[in-house]
Amino acid sequence: MQILLDFLGTTGIATMTWGNAIMIVVGIVFVSLAIVKDYEPLLLLPIGFGVVVGNIPSIASMALGVYDEGSVLSYLYFGVSQGIFPPLIFLGIGAMTDFSTMLSNPKLILLGAAAQVGIFLTFIGALYLGFTPHESGAIGIIGGADGPTAIFLSAKLAPHLLGAIAIAAYSYMALVPLIQPPIMKLLTTRNERRIRMPAPRQVSQREKIFFPIIAFLIAALIAPGSIALLGMLFFGNLLKESGVTDRLANTAANGLIDIVTILLGFCVGASTQAQTFLTSQSLLIFGLGALSFAIATAGGVLFAKFMNLFLKQKINPLIGAAGVSAVPDSARVVQMVGQKEDPQNYLLMHAMAPNVAGVIGSAIAAGVLWSVMVK
Amino acid sequence: MRTFSFDIQNIIDAQGLNLSITGMAIVFTALMLISIAITLLPKVLQLLAGILPAAGGHHGQPAAAPAKPAVSAPATDDHAIVAAIGYVLHTRLHK
Repeated sequence: MQILLDFLGTTGIATMTWGNAIMIVVGIVFVSLAIVKDYEPLLLLPIGFGVVVGNIPSIASMALGVYDEGSVLSYLYFGVSQGIFPPLIFLGIGAMTDFSTMLSNPKLILLGAAAQVGIFLTFIGALYLGFTPHESGAIGIIGGADGPTAIFLSAKLAPHLLGAIAIAAYSYMALVPLIQPPIMKLLTTRNERRIRMPAPRQVSQREKIFFPIIAFLIAALIAPGSIALLGMLFFGNLLKESGVTDRLANTAANGLIDIVTILLGFCVGASTQAQTFLTSQSLLIFGLGALSFAIATAGGVLFAKFMNLFLKQKINPLIGAAGVSAVPDSARVVQMVGQKEDPQNYLLMHAMAPNVAGVIGSAIAAGVLWSVMVK
Repeated sequence: MRTFSFDIQNIIDAQGLNLSITGMAIVFTALMLISIAITLLPKVLQLLAGILPAAGGHHGQPAAAPAKPAVSAPATDDHAIVAAIGYVLHTRLHK
């Protein structure tokens, strides 16, 4: 009988806290959103289930959770905590991304730079709220709307905030279709939203092959902190465009990125144990993350309007919103908002240019913050 | 429980404003240089066209021949047959 009582004392039910229960519900909501609403299912489903797994109370003497030394989950979490998974994700993204639209209209790259204002203004906001400079840098990167970059920088600057930052970044990426349209409509007139842009020019294969090498050299020489992310991004793209490494490109763009996405999502979810996650600072991080996304969107749209003051061939300012690097969700949102005003206006291809430029921009911003903070 | 002190002094102490302006300037500079490089790339490639191997060819192999059009142009005989059928139809229909 005593053995049974001892065993019952170790069950998850006996040791469950209100915090764990709340987080398990949050995890189930994430899973439901992924399955029912189709919100970023490839991310929300692993994260959601990871949240459930991470919040089952473990026995004190057993190494089970991601923070318990020697546990299986801690070994998997190593890829997150040491920033190994994000560059591998970037390798896959590079192998999947077609930079043609960006190469055909290089001025749209500047929209990807303008949207990074969200990162730096949120950095200032986080400092104001009393976060340390390292923590503020990690929180600010949420405005880059790039999950892997946010995880990479948090792992380097503020590992104790990694769970909250990663969840905030991925949650807001999933909520791009809800967050961006009101800001885009608020900052543009109906006539601006109806601007049509000429079809992008045909880009030669040679340009596509040279681009990843040249862009990497420029970005890495200016911001060496971005080598890990941008090196893998452009390497993946070179595998794709070179035409001689199809097998490697296919592996990077399919098998590898899928495996890493599963591990990354699950481990990030499992790291959100209530005891470390349900804190006032997590709430502040979520608030700052939302603000960061809004500022980034506004920054891109307003800069597109600014560019129009000087351009003969006007650009549709909606595509500025795609400067946040949530690929390809932001570009899809631009297409959706544009087509509400003019069903014959196809902005998707044009929006992909600032969208992929945003990926490069946020990685450079992360590199800048990292190199400045570690000094 | 950690306490937060909302204070503008935090920004000043950490040189937040300077860092943000510098950070944005670096991001803009890097992307602007990439943009300029992309703009110049087609012209540079045109200049190097004589030196570089043919696009699509590798391992010393020549580039693949351009694909044949899906529908080939009708041969001269075909034109004659079409014209003959047209003539027959025209004369029959107008009888």
